[in-house]
Amino acid sequence: MALDNLVVTPPPHLRSKERIPLAMRDVLIALAPVTIAALVAFTYNALFNIALAVGSCLFFEWATRKVRKQKPTLTDGSALVTGLLLALLLPPRIQWMNIIIAAFIAIVIAKELMGGLGRNIFNPALFGFVFILIGSGFLASWTGHLGFLRGGFDGVTAATPLVYLKQGITSQGPSYLALLFGNYGGAISEVGAFWVLLGGAYLLYRKVIDWVIPATILLTVLVFGYILQADGLYQILAGGVMLGAFFMATDWTTSPMTVSGQIVYSLIIGVSIVLIRVYGGPAGAVAYSILIGNAFVLLLDKVFKPKRFGQAVAA
Amino acid sequence: MAEMKTFKGGIHPPYNKELASGKAIKRGPVPKEVAIPLQQHIGAPCEALVKAGDRVEVGQKIGETGAFVSAPVHASVSGTVKDVSKVTNFTGASVMSVIITADANQPEFVKKTDKDLDALTAEEIREIAKEAGLVGMGGAAFPTHVKLSPPKESPVDTVVINGCECEPFLTCDHRQMLERTNDMIAGAKLLQRAVGANRVIIGVEANKMDAVDALRSGIGSDKDVSVEVLEVKYPEGAEKMLIFALTGRRVPPGKLPSEVGCLVQNVGTAIALYEAAAWGKPLYERVLTVTGPGIREPGNLIAAIGTPISQLIDFCGGTVGNPAKLIIGGPMTGWAQSEESANVVKGTSGIVMLTSDVVEAAEESDCVRCGKCLDACPMFLSPNFIVQATRRGQWDEAEEWGALDCFECGCCTFECPALIPHVQYTRTAKAKIAALRKK
Repeated sequence: MALDNLVVTPPPHLRSKERIPLAMRDVLIALAPVTIAALVAFTYNALFNIALAVGSCLFFEWATRKVRKQKPTLTDGSALVTGLLLALLLPPRIQWMNIIIAAFIAIVIAKELMGGLGRNIFNPALFGFVFILIGSGFLASWTGHLGFLRGGFDGVTAATPLVYLKQGITSQGPSYLALLFGNYGGAISEVGAFWVLLGGAYLLYRKVIDWVIPATILLTVLVFGYILQADGLYQILAGGVMLGAFFMATDWTTSPMTVSGQIVYSLIIGVSIVLIRVYGGPAGAVAYSILIGNAFVLLLDKVFKPKRFGQAVAA
Repeated sequence: MAEMKTFKGGIHPPYNKELASGKAIKRGPVPKEVAIPLQQHIGAPCEALVKAGDRVEVGQKIGETGAFVSAPVHASVSGTVKDVSKVTNFTGASVMSVIITADANQPEFVKKTDKDLDALTAEEIREIAKEAGLVGMGGAAFPTHVKLSPPKESPVDTVVINGCECEPFLTCDHRQMLERTNDMIAGAKLLQRAVGANRVIIGVEANKMDAVDALRSGIGSDKDVSVEVLEVKYPEGAEKMLIFALTGRRVPPGKLPSEVGCLVQNVGTAIALYEAAAWGKPLYERVLTVTGPGIREPGNLIAAIGTPISQLIDFCGGTVGNPAKLIIGGPMTGWAQSEESANVVKGTSGIVMLTSDVVEAAEESDCVRCGKCLDACPMFLSPNFIVQATRRGQWDEAEEWGALDCFECGCCTFECPALIPHVQYTRTAKAKIAALRKK
């Protein structure tokens, strides 16, 4: 009996079922609750933004790799995730050109020119978002359009909860409960922190992410918020802290690899969020902070090497 | 229930033990021809003691060397030496081997000694192990008498018997613990005496509770010997992990278990030592598992050393389904074969045939820094950084990330969502670092 076509590779000969596209699929599933809530609240505005952001990201990745004669990587699902995250960071009414620019910066500059998925230093979606946040005028007009689904309070437009935070008058803004489930002004993902938490729980359950980073960030913002007398609980429920803590700061590529590194990284992000919110502008604190955290990752990986098994404590 | 003893890190691969764990050990086929490599162990190769045309009897010593780190080899059949020449072994290396044409009728084994085991001295036990050609039968095949001669400055107080069998699919150690319980315990006691240890701990994973029960009743009132149930996790049976799980002691990087007063021996080795001491039987056959979804009737066989694996596969009903990968050893650390021509050696614990639905063409993509390899590594290394350094040819950096501490369990590669073959890269780095050190 002869056997043909036996596969010969080095061990191990068994592999887990985990693959990059499967992890990306899990992220998309985890983003479903907040995305659906956003679509319900902002209907065609949200739909248009999501479609344009996702479409642009897919196109730019395909085009960049085509021009640079690299093998296509659309099937890894990362451009899809970047597009959706980008759309979720944006307000419902935004000049469409901004979305295309942000997608270009995210995919072409922050990801592909850095060497592609796995080699980028900064979270692409956040990088693209911050670029237009600084570079275009939409921040000035960010007044917090409300969707059709009325949440904690009334009005067609209103100040975002972050403005109330900034002014130290959170008692006049949406309640904690409204922040969890309601629709208040801000990015289209800010339609209830609960939906983001739900997705975060799914990612934890699927072991796509670990609890260290989100828990440390949330705890830091909570405690540091109260230390600066800036309503810590309000801080973690309002704005993009939940989305940032569970979906962006946990990005595999742009976060540290060891637990000690992850804790320091999360502390940097958490402290920075509160500082920017208290002493800086009312929008973009989470995005800036995570990008600042990203910048420390390579250093943290070097500093916090795991101590090898059996290595003497005082070596 | 209290948490079971274990180590940190590791993985939970699909075990697939049920294919063969219920199959009693049976004697395998009488080979028509055997090719017995003169080197089946770590250390110096043997010189052939026979030449073409010689008549040999089963158990006769046919290869030996004066070197300390080595183990003699014995004829596994009675027959006529056909040739002494190079034969490709399971790793693809070409090794001088004694090829014997077996007689059609092989003699029944008869006990050759009637020693009082309790009267044997440490020195006598070491000598018995050496003469019988004993090596570690878990796969690494390190000469047993060398392990039984620990350096004076680090006395051994604990003998650990490795009954984990953490490699998926393999069940031969499980079956031996069940069917050869008392012989194994007797072998363990000999090991204890050989190194002057005050206790023997048998570590068994919790998926073999029947073996745990059998061993506990076999031990009876002997206070020196105990059985510990360990969490089912790969690589629980790796020497350093097992010692840590059972004793809390950590073997330092680059050191041997004797550094922390331990001696680890495999189930099969303990039984082989008993057979050598009580029966005068050298190591010329072993129990191994022939299994996998591609084997029609998986089982646990006693196979003569040198038997072609094709004959063992045929004995187990041949292949079934779409055989796609043939592995000698376990699926985590074993060697993939391009054909069925290799022969059984002392370290062959299993023959595993995987089918095309399990074997997928793995296309490697870039590391996405998910960190799963770090979490899985039982040695707390940074496999992804070793890979990066190896790709760039930065050998000092590969060493800094722990390349030399890697014992190639494969956990990192198992977990990697980007399908990066860390083990392969790390092997390259280790070989390169070793070569640079020699200069």
